[in-house]
Amino acid sequence: MAKILIVDDSSTVRDEVAGFLKNNGLEVATAVDGKDGLAKMKADPGIKLVISDVNMPNMDGLTMVEKIRGELGNAAVNVIMLTTESSPNMKERGKAAGIKGWIVKPFKGDAVLETFKKLAA
Amino acid sequence: MSDSPVSKILVLDNDDACQQSIKRFCDENALVPLKVRKNRLMSVLRSNIDLGAILLAEDYGASPEENAEIALRIHTVRPELPIILRRQDAASLDGIPESLRRVFCAAYTAHDMTALRPVLDEYIFSLVYPNALVRGISEITENVLSSQFRTMTTTWNTPYIVRDRVIFGEVFSLIPLESAWCRGYMMLQTEEAPILRLLNAREGDEDAGFRAVNNLLGEITNLIWGAFKNRYVGDSSQHASSQIQVPLIVNHKHKYISFGTENPQLCFLYTLTDEDSGNAIRLYQRFVFNLSWSPEDFTEISPDSSGLVESGELELF
Repeated sequence: MAKILIVDDSSTVRDEVAGFLKNNGLEVATAVDGKDGLAKMKADPGIKLVISDVNMPNMDGLTMVEKIRGELGNAAVNVIMLTTESSPNMKERGKAAGIKGWIVKPFKGDAVLETFKKLAA
Repeated sequence: MSDSPVSKILVLDNDDACQQSIKRFCDENALVPLKVRKNRLMSVLRSNIDLGAILLAEDYGASPEENAEIALRIHTVRPELPIILRRQDAASLDGIPESLRRVFCAAYTAHDMTALRPVLDEYIFSLVYPNALVRGISEITENVLSSQFRTMTTTWNTPYIVRDRVIFGEVFSLIPLESAWCRGYMMLQTEEAPILRLLNAREGDEDAGFRAVNNLLGEITNLIWGAFKNRYVGDSSQHASSQIQVPLIVNHKHKYISFGTENPQLCFLYTLTDEDSGNAIRLYQRFVFNLSWSPEDFTEISPDSSGLVESGELELF
């Protein structure tokens, strides 16, 4: 089964999103920051969708996406940003790195579940 | 509910007629008067963390000596609170011993309370908060709290101005707010036990400890900060950043925090109630604009201009 990677430095968010997706039959992995997320991406080719925060310690989410594209060259992995940020500049940077979408927190699972399933398929 | 902040003041005055005058004045000037028995004064001062000032009558004590002692004790316990002295004859501190004068910020008389208004403007309402900002903060915070505490009812009181520096509860968060029109902090304060009870009641969180409380408060802080930034700040990279900082002082023993300024703080109190169990969580939210404050430059970013979508909705590219 395709796996979804949740990258967020907040355990509250990781638990909330992971719990929701698992309860809806999806396989989930988590990472605590961009550096951890990149390492888990490299180690697990089964990850098909990444849901990532932007502002995180060690490595931010947008840098992580740029490195995923640059180092892994993996265009098959879809990335959605889940963040408090809504700056047009940040969204443009995300688009340039090839992200698929942007969600402004708080997370509302029911509003995005079907799209997540399609992107993770 | 009004968007204009009020301020709570402690009235130490035994004169019935003067109390009526003070009550009328408070009603007309966004003040909430609080009374206390003399024998409970110190415990009230130690437990009330949201006061703006104290109105003390010069004949509140049984003698001038007792009154002086009361004033000095108040000033010792809560030096950040302005004490305004009601005098019988003239709105002046003339005749007050020099050693005692330092504890009073001003004087007024009950028969002409006009002298009190500029004192309040100087010590309590010295910062003007745009109504749109006050209303917006309540809306943002209510949305965030509702998203994090879905089974609980959120209510909040009329926002108020405080000069207190006393920390409520056992855990608080701080996050800087930086924009073209403000620089300061948002602080959230709460008690640990009610949140632990909530987390323990949630499925799978039976062993929740203080770190779980920290994480939850941190996420709530982050969500409010993000929504505040999106609504009132915009792209922070467009603002010239200042290197000016002042140290914050936290005194754990006295549960006291100083932001290096005498500026009053804008305070909101939210109560989250579980209707089934009756358990409640109190969350104090304070805004401290200690580094710059230019409300004339305050702007609200419209969703149209920033291309915002509803929070929680997926914007696909």
